[in-house]
Amino acid sequence: MPGVFPRALATEGRTETTQETGGVHISLRAEEIFHIGSFGATNSLVLSTLVFLLLAGTAFFGRKKYALIPGKIQNIAELLIEGILDVMDSVLGDRKKSEKYLPLVGTIFLFVLSSNWLGLFPGVGSLVVRGVETAPLFRAPAADLNFTLALAIVTVVAVNVLGAAAIGAGAHLGKFFNFKNPVMFFIGILEFVSEFARMVSFSFRLFGNVFAGEVLLTIVGFLVPYLVPLPFLFLEIFVGFIQALIFSMLTLVFVGIAIAEHGEEAHERQTVHG
Amino acid sequence: MSELFHNLGIDWKLLLSQAVNFGLLIIALRAFAYKPLVALLNERRAKIEEGLTKAKEADVRLGEANLLAKTRVKEAEEEALLILKNTEYEAKTLEGTLAAKAHEKEAVMMREAEERAKAKGAEVEAAFAKETVAIVRAALVKTVELSPDAVDEALIKKAVVAVKHAP
Repeated sequence: MPGVFPRALATEGRTETTQETGGVHISLRAEEIFHIGSFGATNSLVLSTLVFLLLAGTAFFGRKKYALIPGKIQNIAELLIEGILDVMDSVLGDRKKSEKYLPLVGTIFLFVLSSNWLGLFPGVGSLVVRGVETAPLFRAPAADLNFTLALAIVTVVAVNVLGAAAIGAGAHLGKFFNFKNPVMFFIGILEFVSEFARMVSFSFRLFGNVFAGEVLLTIVGFLVPYLVPLPFLFLEIFVGFIQALIFSMLTLVFVGIAIAEHGEEAHERQTVHG
Repeated sequence: MSELFHNLGIDWKLLLSQAVNFGLLIIALRAFAYKPLVALLNERRAKIEEGLTKAKEADVRLGEANLLAKTRVKEAEEEALLILKNTEYEAKTLEGTLAAKAHEKEAVMMREAEERAKAKGAEVEAAFAKETVAIVRAALVKTVELSPDAVDEALIKKAVVAVKHAP
């Protein structure tokens, strides 16, 4: 099933994998920086771990100062959380539900946003280490498919688990495997396949945008080092935000669909009970 | 398939580590940021709501109290006016009765005084009459004592002296 589409990409990917043309270094893969045993840590993993430490550390050390009258950091955090909750309310229609699914949606937004913006910092891509291979020390996490695919898989799995928890595993599986009539059966199969399509679209959308931005900035910076990259940097700041928003909004919508009872079934159940 | 994954740089170990990173971040942020902050937000919202309802209640109470005070003042004023009127009326009636009583008393006193004066006059008259009788009697006695043959002059003089010296 997933043969046709990715094979075309694969041939393209091979030609693009690593190109060294007059100092411009573009790699489709994240480069290995160091080894821990047999595990090769990539520059993308280094930065994503850094982002993780930054966010988790801020929350961990900031939590002692939480008070009813907020300080500066708490104010910003509350503003973010309130904003995310308001958006979630508009989709889920219930504050309680929003608070319940805030950890997944909010973390995706914050993690992707911080990763994208930290990936634009000076030094990312330009600090080069000569370890396992000569490569930049940092790489925007989302410019590595491992990061985006991991996020996508975790998200899709989490959405399904949350859906099953909200309406019951049977009802949730019934969305995919429906033997009542042939039409519903095929719709169910399509739904099932679309879960995997979601993983692919999630991961490649984010990866494509961020990687393209990296390439764009590298090339523009190589051609005209001063001033000209500035608008592109602003563009990438915007793209970084938009991609974080898209990833989290899509997750939110998928969660909203997953926790809602299937229209027809719910209707049938209501009529049976009523 | 594996070649494709290799070309894209997909490695299950890296995938797993990124997923673990993400999962840990969800857990950490849930524990240290979302839960306490959402609780705080809800607490603050509850407090503000409570404060607003209390303020509203206080406003209503204040309005009621003001109304009550106004009506009370009005009532008190009316009452005071009534009392004043009553007092005035009572005072007037009392004045009237007092004046009437005074007149009466005056009249009584006048009458009494008149009567007393009259009585005294009668007493004086009586006493005068008594005295006159005594004088006349004394004068007669003296006259009888003197012989009619005595000089009239001396007789008259004696009589006069007797009358004068009579008590």
